[in-house]
Amino acid sequence: MTEATYRGLGGLRALLRGGRRALWRYTGTLFAVFLAQSVLAVACMLGVAMVLTQTFSRLPMFDEAVDGDLVALIWVVRHEPGSFVAIAGVIFAAVIVWQVAAWFLAGGLYGVLAQRPEGRADTVRSFGESGAGTYFAYARLAVVSLLGYMVVLTVFGATLSAAWQRLEYALTLGDLFAALAIVAIPTGALALFFGTVTDYARVELTLRYESHRPSAFATYLRTVGYVLRHPLTVVHAGVGWLLVILVSLAYVYIAHDHPMYGAGGAITLFFVRQGMSLARMAIRVAIMAGQIELGRTRRLPPPRRLEPPQQPTEHAE
Amino acid sequence: MHELLELLVVEPVEAAQDAQVEVSGLRMQRERRVPGLDERGGEQTSGEREIELGVERGRRGDLREHEQHLAVGEHVDGDDRRAALDRADPVVRQRREREVALAPEPLEERGDARLVIDDLVHTGNRIATGAHGIDHSVLRPVVLVLVACGLATACGRDPGAHRVRPLPEPDASPALRGGGPPRSPRIASYRIDATLDPARHTITATQTLRWRNTGGSAVDVLPFHLYLNAFKNESTVFMESSGGVLRGAEATPGRWGWIQLDSVKIASFAEDATATEGTPSPPVGGELASTLRYPGPTGDETVVELPLPRPVPPGGAIELQMAFTAQLPEVFARSGYHGEFHMVAQWFPKIGVRVGPFGAEHWECRPYHAHTEFFADFGTYDVSLTVPSTFVVAATGVLVGATEAPGGTRTFTYRAEDVHDFVWVADPYMEVMSGRALVEDGAVEVRVLYRPEQEAFARRHLAAGIGAIQSFSAQLLPYPWAVMTIVDPPMEAAAGAGGMEYPTLVTTAGDSVFAREGLRLPEYVTVHEVGHNWFGGMLASNEVLEAWLDEGLNDWMDAKVMAELYGPRGNAVDWMGWQADLAALRNAVSTDPGALPSPIATAAFAFADFDAYADASYGKTARAIATLEQIVGPSKLAAAMKAYARTWAFRHPTGSDFFATLARELDQDLTWFSAAFHEVGGIELDVRSAACRPAHPPRGYFGQGSAAKLVTETEAPDTGTYVCEVVITNTGVVHVPVDIELVFEDRSTQRLHWDARGGDHWERFVVERSSPLVEVAIDPDDKLALANPVTHRYRLVPDGSAAMRAGSWFGNVAQMLMQVVGP
Repeated sequence: MTEATYRGLGGLRALLRGGRRALWRYTGTLFAVFLAQSVLAVACMLGVAMVLTQTFSRLPMFDEAVDGDLVALIWVVRHEPGSFVAIAGVIFAAVIVWQVAAWFLAGGLYGVLAQRPEGRADTVRSFGESGAGTYFAYARLAVVSLLGYMVVLTVFGATLSAAWQRLEYALTLGDLFAALAIVAIPTGALALFFGTVTDYARVELTLRYESHRPSAFATYLRTVGYVLRHPLTVVHAGVGWLLVILVSLAYVYIAHDHPMYGAGGAITLFFVRQGMSLARMAIRVAIMAGQIELGRTRRLPPPRRLEPPQQPTEHAE
Repeated sequence: MHELLELLVVEPVEAAQDAQVEVSGLRMQRERRVPGLDERGGEQTSGEREIELGVERGRRGDLREHEQHLAVGEHVDGDDRRAALDRADPVVRQRREREVALAPEPLEERGDARLVIDDLVHTGNRIATGAHGIDHSVLRPVVLVLVACGLATACGRDPGAHRVRPLPEPDASPALRGGGPPRSPRIASYRIDATLDPARHTITATQTLRWRNTGGSAVDVLPFHLYLNAFKNESTVFMESSGGVLRGAEATPGRWGWIQLDSVKIASFAEDATATEGTPSPPVGGELASTLRYPGPTGDETVVELPLPRPVPPGGAIELQMAFTAQLPEVFARSGYHGEFHMVAQWFPKIGVRVGPFGAEHWECRPYHAHTEFFADFGTYDVSLTVPSTFVVAATGVLVGATEAPGGTRTFTYRAEDVHDFVWVADPYMEVMSGRALVEDGAVEVRVLYRPEQEAFARRHLAAGIGAIQSFSAQLLPYPWAVMTIVDPPMEAAAGAGGMEYPTLVTTAGDSVFAREGLRLPEYVTVHEVGHNWFGGMLASNEVLEAWLDEGLNDWMDAKVMAELYGPRGNAVDWMGWQADLAALRNAVSTDPGALPSPIATAAFAFADFDAYADASYGKTARAIATLEQIVGPSKLAAAMKAYARTWAFRHPTGSDFFATLARELDQDLTWFSAAFHEVGGIELDVRSAACRPAHPPRGYFGQGSAAKLVTETEAPDTGTYVCEVVITNTGVVHVPVDIELVFEDRSTQRLHWDARGGDHWERFVVERSSPLVEVAIDPDDKLALANPVTHRYRLVPDGSAAMRAGSWFGNVAQMLMQVVGP
């Protein structure tokens, strides 16, 4: 493939097909990463359950709150607000741990998708090598990426301030959506843009780290230009996030007001939730695979070493 | 597969090679020049020989690369994917290595900054030359979508142009529904002619006040409220106590409000008020405006006093003619304008109230404070309002006339009887929606004024208003006036003008996209404000000193009315499967009664802040009345409330009058309940301990000396039953009778009762049952609204299943967040 291959809707289709192929090929890798995430989520769940058990196990009103009684929910939150602060802390810690682990896991995933190893041993080697090799580069990139996200936050604040009165006085869903659009469209577009930049910077670091040793900062800035020149990258990433949102909405629909079976519905709900999480992760991995394909066609980064100026000399073939 | 390999393997190699050619700062040529090669290793060869060597080396390198490319192609042709990949990836690496190897030493290495600059320069060059390669086929639709969204969001709400509507017909009904004799003493009656200037938001008016001295002492000074002066500057009592903010609305800097008395004259004076009843008189005496004095704190002119040249004797009357000018502020505290919407409230000089024992009365007329509302005498109002012809007007009372006036204006004349306030609204865009409320002795015309974009909410307000009038009329006493007007202010003015009550006219609020059908905030506000026509309107208690007597009682009654109109369970919230009853929801969100720093029976201006005033006057009072209701029985309290309403309608009841009426009607001493109103604190019930042990006869040594006998477990075995001990505490200040329900392992229950009205703070219960205790429930029927119910039910054996379910939900949330930040 060349850069010319990935233009327009045809290019988008090619990227999506590439993602699907990669998923089919590396389902084991996907499951392994998902398992790691699930373990962390279960640990978070148990931590939260411990906090709540400590506070509410003797208070039946808490059971009513969990079962959907709005008034009971208000009472229990007011009764022990500290517990809910602790829960927020547990979740925050889990997300931070995942973020740190994700530098390795994402590096491994990108490496596998780039190198296309065959067989389990090769895949494991490739995953580990790439994940370890790019770990600190990804960490540096995460710090650099904060610049972009600060821009997003600034825009969010400015648009929210501009739309606040319209939100406050909205009478119809049309009014509300128009006001939300003022906030959501610029913020969402910038968040998608900078998220895509980060993704393609990771791709660049994965593909070129051994040959060019690009720096995270330079890679990030170069990738800003690259993404600006190639809106297909943003559209492709946007399709991925749209699919993630649709999967989440499907979960809300399935989980709300539909019968759940087994241990009071907990078992069915567990499988529904895990299924939806796996689907979201698969979508993300498929997008990453497409990003690798497109990232290959990028102009190489500038070499670090320069030749000194050439002296004109005569020569004969 | 072949094409796949071509696409995946061969073409990236070619692209890599092409990219190499473009590397900034380097000129990669097939016939490579290798400067400085002649200096390598100190060789001294001829220039031509050196070049030949360099070329040869370059050619070899190119040849190797070419061979590799061919090899890749061969593997692709042979469908040997693995080998092709193995060949492809190192090509680029080799190219770079060769480039480095062929370059002379030493080499300069570019730092990150230089790399970035080079790249930016390269990008700039590409853009300048048009070779930027931006994919417009994708960019174009994205830009179009963004532009379309931007245009859509830029569109705002346009109210449209003014229009002249047909003159409204006067109301057919008299001000008092069905006519009849006066319902109140009619102490202060007003005749006002006012003209609105909507451009400057000013009102110029003349007023004739007839005031009767119904007390037993002579009066030599008349105090008046000039409420609008509260917004005159920052040093007024109102502005200082509110900080320029009230109920979420802020005062607009520079948009001050004030009222100025331009002229005060005595029109007539009578020793006997009845002799001159209804007889107009020419002015008596000269101009008195210069004698006015302002007794309030420095900077506050919300109270003005008029010393009289001679006192009004008991039973006498005085008629004053006044001229005044009022400047409306931009609305933030009940009165003012926003754009072309004018909410004209507390706008005229209003005389104070004589209170106290007969013969020892004093004036109740205090400066306007942020926490206080209003207190005035009943009377009649005949008011003429002149406004531009395009304006729609609504006012207290009934419309008795509407005429065209000079200068493109119209004059609307209203009459109200047996009311203690007069307000009006003028706006050029409002529409009117009407309905009828049926009460026991007739029907009430209910009107809603609304802006067109709020029509859907106007319907909800109309339905709620009709229901409220019918319900309050049935439970207390029939609504006596002919008309009820509900004004739904424009959204931009709702925070300042909405949610306020006046006799026969209320302003509502709660309109919002978030107030979907089933989220009944709009209905609740309307019910609450309409309810004030009883608590505050007819039962005209002193809102300054005893705000709880109208706000709290009304709040308590609202929950009953909402339950009657919208069902017992989901009358506040009934949406997407969530349900909440207003009373329960109010209890859950209101401040813990024990945390309030002042008792309920505190003067409004004496609370620490607005929140303390609101929590005590509204929520805590309502919860206390609801608790009393459950203890004495709903039907008994309902009857007592009806008696209170019918006894004190069109009078000024006090808290003492209220409790005395209840005690008489309920036929019991309510002193035990007074702590809820006169002390800080509430009901703080808790299970201090609950435990069971196997029952058996007593074991151990019994008797003295040689007769002492040891009873062991063998002689006194377990009986197979359980002795359970429960200790209940009440660390609050309100002591009430309370039920306790014990739940046992075999699912049997036992009810106990603790009558703590004697002031006990704890009680121990001991029971013996065949199975152990598993749960204790204090107040199982949720009678005690004044208490925090979370700790009322207690499990002896912990059960973490709900915690696990909640943990699973939070774990799912955490996993979703992880998927946002990571792969």
